[in-house]
Amino acid sequence: MLMRRAGSGAVPPARPRWRIRPAAWAMTARCITAFLGNYAFAATATSLTARLLPIARVEATVWAMILSFLLYAIVGLWCFAEASLARVAAIVWGGALLMGAAVWLIGVRP
Amino acid sequence: MIRALRQSMAWIHGWLGLVAGWLLFAMFATGTASYFRPEITRWMQPEIAANRTAPADAAAAAVRHLQRVGADDVQWFIALPDERTAVTRVFEQPKPAAEGAPRPRRPRAEELVLDPATGDPVAARDTRGGEHFYRFHFQLQLPYPWGRWLAGVCAMFMLGAIISGVVTHKRIFADFFTLRWNKGQRSWLDAHNVSAVLALPYHAVITYTGLVTLVVMYMPWPIVANYPQPARFAQEAYGLAADVEPTGRPAPLVAIAPLVRDAERRLGGAAGRLVVSHPNDAAATVTVTRGNGASVAARGVSATYSGTTGRLLSASAPPGAAITTANVLLGLHMAQFAGPALRWTLFVLGLSGVAMVGTGLLLWTAARRRPGATPFFGLRLVERLNIATIAGLPLGMAAFLLANRLLPAGMPGRADAEVAAMFWTWGAAALLQCARAPRLAWRDLFALGAVAFAAIPIVDALATPRLAAGDPLFLAFDSAMAAMAVALAFAGRRAARIPAAPVRRSARKVAHA
Repeated sequence: MLMRRAGSGAVPPARPRWRIRPAAWAMTARCITAFLGNYAFAATATSLTARLLPIARVEATVWAMILSFLLYAIVGLWCFAEASLARVAAIVWGGALLMGAAVWLIGVRP
Repeated sequence: MIRALRQSMAWIHGWLGLVAGWLLFAMFATGTASYFRPEITRWMQPEIAANRTAPADAAAAAVRHLQRVGADDVQWFIALPDERTAVTRVFEQPKPAAEGAPRPRRPRAEELVLDPATGDPVAARDTRGGEHFYRFHFQLQLPYPWGRWLAGVCAMFMLGAIISGVVTHKRIFADFFTLRWNKGQRSWLDAHNVSAVLALPYHAVITYTGLVTLVVMYMPWPIVANYPQPARFAQEAYGLAADVEPTGRPAPLVAIAPLVRDAERRLGGAAGRLVVSHPNDAAATVTVTRGNGASVAARGVSATYSGTTGRLLSASAPPGAAITTANVLLGLHMAQFAGPALRWTLFVLGLSGVAMVGTGLLLWTAARRRPGATPFFGLRLVERLNIATIAGLPLGMAAFLLANRLLPAGMPGRADAEVAAMFWTWGAAALLQCARAPRLAWRDLFALGAVAFAAIPIVDALATPRLAAGDPLFLAFDSAMAAMAVALAFAGRRAARIPAAPVRRSARKVAHA
């Protein structure tokens, strides 16, 4: 589906080889972002949530952990629903970096 | 917008399902069998009669035995029998080797299987029993931690496939009532939709709760952000008492049975597990945990007693909302609370999961086959893997159960040999089917599976007296095996038929794969 969108418009039956490759690279990047980048995103998002929720730390930790899979699934699917790969990469990798930095700066709950 | 979303979700649904489908099929099949884990174990050890001993008496008998064989152990872990489990299982944690002596790589807990009434080790054939399917279900016979991670990735793909499948689906309610037989690809799509939609809440819950069972492994980072010492998390979350150091002063252990009875009164349910720390030391403690049959929430509550005076030291506080939620999710997955009727219902729902994954895999090939055209490599590969998994796995599972009856009871290493029988049979079936045309390969493997499952009750009746004696467990188990044989024979008959004419509508419109 995304391959077709990347090719845009009427697709000639035999596309030249060089036009397929960027789309394949883009799809690889998208998959890696959805699989690994998304894990970093979910890990940092849930860590930050667990650290900041103003409830007992064991409760905050467990809520964040059990909701992490829902976040991972939805963000992972969004990675394929969103047309712009640049936006996908920026939000997933950038978000992971920002939230990871925030967790690191705030430090472990005393 | 909605259309584009649906298209992208259909695309990802097809790929998620294809990549993880074969392992998910195996996970669903062995997981569904695991609803009857203790029953499978009991069937595989026909020498052991059903348990009639109360947990407190079984605990006392086990401790009597442990006092003889491991009085100076660091810890005894005792899993008590109940209506479903016929034996007491005991793990000893022996004292570490003295300083200076060559250290063994972490003392490994040896499991002992004891008779609940006498406390003596039981004499029964060596087998993994239902534990084998259960372990395979989430470890996939791979070394730790790779099997668990792979199972987790598959479960995550499943969750993604469920959500994207629901988004893709335009007529979710109409499909409730739609099943068109013998229409080729259209029938596979209908079958996939019916099996998926009918049991959708079950599939969603079982997938999510499956992920939650190993959440501490898959997503430990919130713990790292909140706990300088992650071990503290386990203590707070599971209500464990902090470890105490042994004093080195010997002191006799109190009588266990009254402690267990007291704990059962306090905890409001039969005792399931018992941990004795530093037995025969002045600092000994006895922790009694309620069995999982008493409530939906897994990880029952516990009470800890002094091992020398029998005084109650602490009882687990009622857990908070998040812990309770996690325990309920865990309990829903393990279903140890379920009585026979609910257990069979869950078993049937599990089979609907097997059907959903299987029909989804078949749909992938049906949607891409063109009449008259030579199938491309990917299509042939997927088809062979489908045959190997859908028709081959049942054959392997039957071989595991048959090996249990056919291997000599006293054979050394027979537990491993049973497991080997399953994988060698499965592997051989997966390879040999490539020599046949796909349609014949489907038929042959299903037929072999039907014969193997039909053989199980016959071999059981010849090898052990339990079926002839009318033991209800053996009657139910062997009837289920006969039903499997009928189902596989039916599948084989269908597979042997010439496929129906291709449908008129273009493949792209029909298949959302």
